[in-house]
Amino acid sequence: MKMNRFVVAAFFAFALLLAVSAFAGTGSKDSPAPAVTATSGGSTQDEDMRLEGEKRFRANCGRCHMAPPKFAPRMVATIVRHMRVRANITDEDRRQILRYMAQ
Amino acid sequence: MCRLVQWSRRIACACLVALFVMCGLALHAQDDGFKPVPILTGSAAYFTRVTGGQFQNTPSVSPLLLMPFGDKWLLEAKGNYSDTFAKEAGDNYYGSTTAYGLGYAQVDYITKYVTVTGGRFITPFNIYGERFGPNWIRALQISPLCSPLTSGSALGGMLHGGFPAGSENVNLNYAVYFSTNNTHHLLATDRSTGGRLGFFLPRQRVEFGASFQQVLQLDRPHSSGAYLLWQPYRAPLSVRSEYVRSSGTKGSGYWIESAYRLSQISPLRRLELVGRGQQFFAAANLSAATIKKLGAFGKDTTQADLGLNYYFRSDVRASLSYGRQFVLGTNTNTNLWTVGMTYRFLMPLGPTGRSM
Ligand code: HEC
Repeated sequence: MKMNRFVVAAFFAFALLLAVSAFAGTGSKDSPAPAVTATSGGSTQDEDMRLEGEKRFRANCGRCHMAPPKFAPRMVATIVRHMRVRANITDEDRRQILRYMAQ
Repeated sequence: MCRLVQWSRRIACACLVALFVMCGLALHAQDDGFKPVPILTGSAAYFTRVTGGQFQNTPSVSPLLLMPFGDKWLLEAKGNYSDTFAKEAGDNYYGSTTAYGLGYAQVDYITKYVTVTGGRFITPFNIYGERFGPNWIRALQISPLCSPLTSGSALGGMLHGGFPAGSENVNLNYAVYFSTNNTHHLLATDRSTGGRLGFFLPRQRVEFGASFQQVLQLDRPHSSGAYLLWQPYRAPLSVRSEYVRSSGTKGSGYWIESAYRLSQISPLRRLELVGRGQQFFAAANLSAATIKKLGAFGKDTTQADLGLNYYFRSDVRASLSYGRQFVLGTNTNTNLWTVGMTYRFLMPLGPTGRSM
């Protein structure tokens, strides 16, 4: 039947997409690429905190929509509070991501 | 009549004054040393849809106001406005219909484990309504067939939150809500209750969960659902899926969608490929009269959609999609095209601190 063939083709396309992604993944680790770039400097403690913030940003902020760029600190504070409500991110994620994005 | 006009003027003035006072208070909110500023955000979009040869052009705008207070409060209000210009096949006439409404208007009180929300909000059932409602976020503009199976908006209260569940690598998130019945044409909600429980594994970027909803009016249907999201770190891929089953005459359905960003191929790195497959199953043993009444929900339907999204920036996107819908038993196959642009705006309503 014509319809069945189309559905089979569509699901085959899905499977292909999944397979391609599994192989293509070897090159780059950060996907989707975070729009936020690192700012270096400060002590190792600062650096550790920045890395922790970046890790949490990458785990959370590109899941539902394209990861956003950095904004001015007071805007980040509102946005991250909104995402705590909307996306139910944890309090610790909110705190770390806020510091990281407001840097 | 004259008195009515006077009163509405007074109410409008009072609302304006209240808005200014709230803005003033909001500017003094605190958050870990950063004072959150009120924000006006939302999206504007223009889409052309061709459904089985019928054209629809729809410009739309959905503004969202975010007002933080103190270090625990947030007030959010979202409106929607759209105009649809439709053209029948073979006809030159474009009729226009305007639609507007209140997406949500809620107050949130945030604590470490519980956020208390009151007002009008999106029901926490599975993921599509809460996460992929805004058109700048959804990968395909056409909503899944099973979305209307559950009540989408609530007027009442909700308790929700997210916290680590004993381990760094498991975050639990939950929501329970209650909604009253409202028959206002712009704000209609059902009397209903329900909730959702989800687990997010940040190291794998996997989330899965289950939802339940019980409508407490008319034929009191209940729905249950499950969802899965996976975004591997190794590849720019997102896979998401939902399953919903409703009691009574409503039926069941599922969809699975994957989006692949071509970020490893430099000239195509802004392009995203999207595919979605879905099936809807009408409830069994429906009478001919019920099938007629249910319309689209009376027949088993299968649909596949393919789409392209081009990100000029993280907030400006052009989209194109093609889908084909098969309604079983009627031999009706429909082509569904969409093409358009979305723009997410974001502007502070006060001083923003150091600029980046
Ligand atoms: C669970 C899904 C989800 C996650 C995870 C998520 N967002 Fe969002 N985000 C949304 C939705 C949905 C909206 C749109 C809200 C609306 O318009 O109703 C949004 C809106 C935004 C906006 C537009 C302004 C606003 O506040 O509405 C920004 C910026 C944003 N998110 C940043 C972030 C950041 C930063 C993170 C990481 C902490 C994040 N998002 C995580 C779902 C999510």
